[in-house]
Amino acid sequence: MNSIIFDNMSYAYPGGDAVLKNINAIIPPDSFTILTGPEGAGKTTFCLAIAGAVPGYFGGRMAGSVTVGGVKTTDIKVADLAERVGIVLADYDSQLLALTVAEEVAFGLENRGAAPETIAAKIREVLALVGLSGNEHAEVAGLSGGQRQRLAIAGMLVADPDILVLDEPASALDPEGTAELYRLLGELNRKYGKTVIVVEHCLRHVLPYANNLLVLQQGCLQLAGHPEDLLPRMLKEAVYAEAVPAEVKTIYAAAAGVRKEETRSA
Amino acid sequence: MESNKQEMVTYSPNQGGNNRWLTVTTLLLAVGAILKLVTPSVGGITPNWMIAMYCIAINLTRPTFGQAAGIGLVAGAVQIPLSKSAFPYGNLLSEPVGAIACALLLQATMKMNIGAFNLRPAITTFLSTVASGMTFITVMKLVLSLPLSVYLYAMMPVVFAVAVINMVLAQLLYFPAQKLFAARGNKA
Repeated sequence: MNSIIFDNMSYAYPGGDAVLKNINAIIPPDSFTILTGPEGAGKTTFCLAIAGAVPGYFGGRMAGSVTVGGVKTTDIKVADLAERVGIVLADYDSQLLALTVAEEVAFGLENRGAAPETIAAKIREVLALVGLSGNEHAEVAGLSGGQRQRLAIAGMLVADPDILVLDEPASALDPEGTAELYRLLGELNRKYGKTVIVVEHCLRHVLPYANNLLVLQQGCLQLAGHPEDLLPRMLKEAVYAEAVPAEVKTIYAAAAGVRKEETRSA
Repeated sequence: MESNKQEMVTYSPNQGGNNRWLTVTTLLLAVGAILKLVTPSVGGITPNWMIAMYCIAINLTRPTFGQAAGIGLVAGAVQIPLSKSAFPYGNLLSEPVGAIACALLLQATMKMNIGAFNLRPAITTFLSTVASGMTFITVMKLVLSLPLSVYLYAMMPVVFAVAVINMVLAQLLYFPAQKLFAARGNKA
């Protein structure tokens, strides 16, 4: 199964202090997980640890382990793990390599030795999914930030990994694009059984699809569980409460008000 | 903090691609083939550059046994047209044996260094050359029905002499080759 298990994991980049400290987390297969927390909480490092780039690519010091689908990330090459884990980096521009949109999407498949007909069909399918149909021959440099971000997502989807890790995938998207992206990720999760992990500050658009929430603060996992249970706790315990959407705050404030009324009248 | 008490394991960055082993091996085999072609024989003994080169490659890239057998097979095939021997096809058997021997020896956990100096290339190359050479001369003796005295007193000493030369060459060339292997982009 493709569950992801952080077992008492701590990590420090070469020559640095620990950025993740004693993380114990289980991300179940087929779940849709939001990873949130303030700047510098270790969210990106958490994502890189799932992809094995931490510590495989960056080196550094690590304690404990991260297990993806029963295999420790330290026991497998990053390239082999990439067959199972697809990642879109926060710096999505750095993972775009080709000149045109079609070439960019084809890159992953060409490397895996796919047949030209398969590649052509896959390009059409994936570009339609991310809403870039008709841009096959457009130059990557000429795309807007949002379009390039969607292209990076297409590049990840084309390899068909079971686990999708997206580090702030909506940072360059407009509200409409954001809603559309999360609808797509929700569908990939529910219909195709992909495990989705998304780093997000603005929870409004992503909450309807998520069934797991992790809150990181200063490298420690503060809260983990179903969003419905965690959001009130985030407010009550003031754990990154800023991220809780205003609508949710109003609902809980109203609910708390009702509860107060009930206790008073009782 | 509690986390500071944890035992942290240090990992070195590994930013090479999946096929770096292949690129480095092919490059070294090509260098080996050219050197084999141009090196003159001194008293009937020439260093076996191909073995030295694939031993360096195997030391650097630590391939699986299957990959090692493949490296040996390629090295053997390349040697057929270059060989001065009476039965060059023997290389197709002897080189995979040598390459697998080298990969096997690298699996051994025993220390092969003096202080900080890594002697693994020398030791593995010596033993691999002996393994490959013994296979080669045995095949040649059987195929060409050579007398036992030739096998024992003419061919075997040559195998060990070549193994000693190879051992020195591999150890000397290992360090520049390692630099090449670790080089990234335009940074050497």
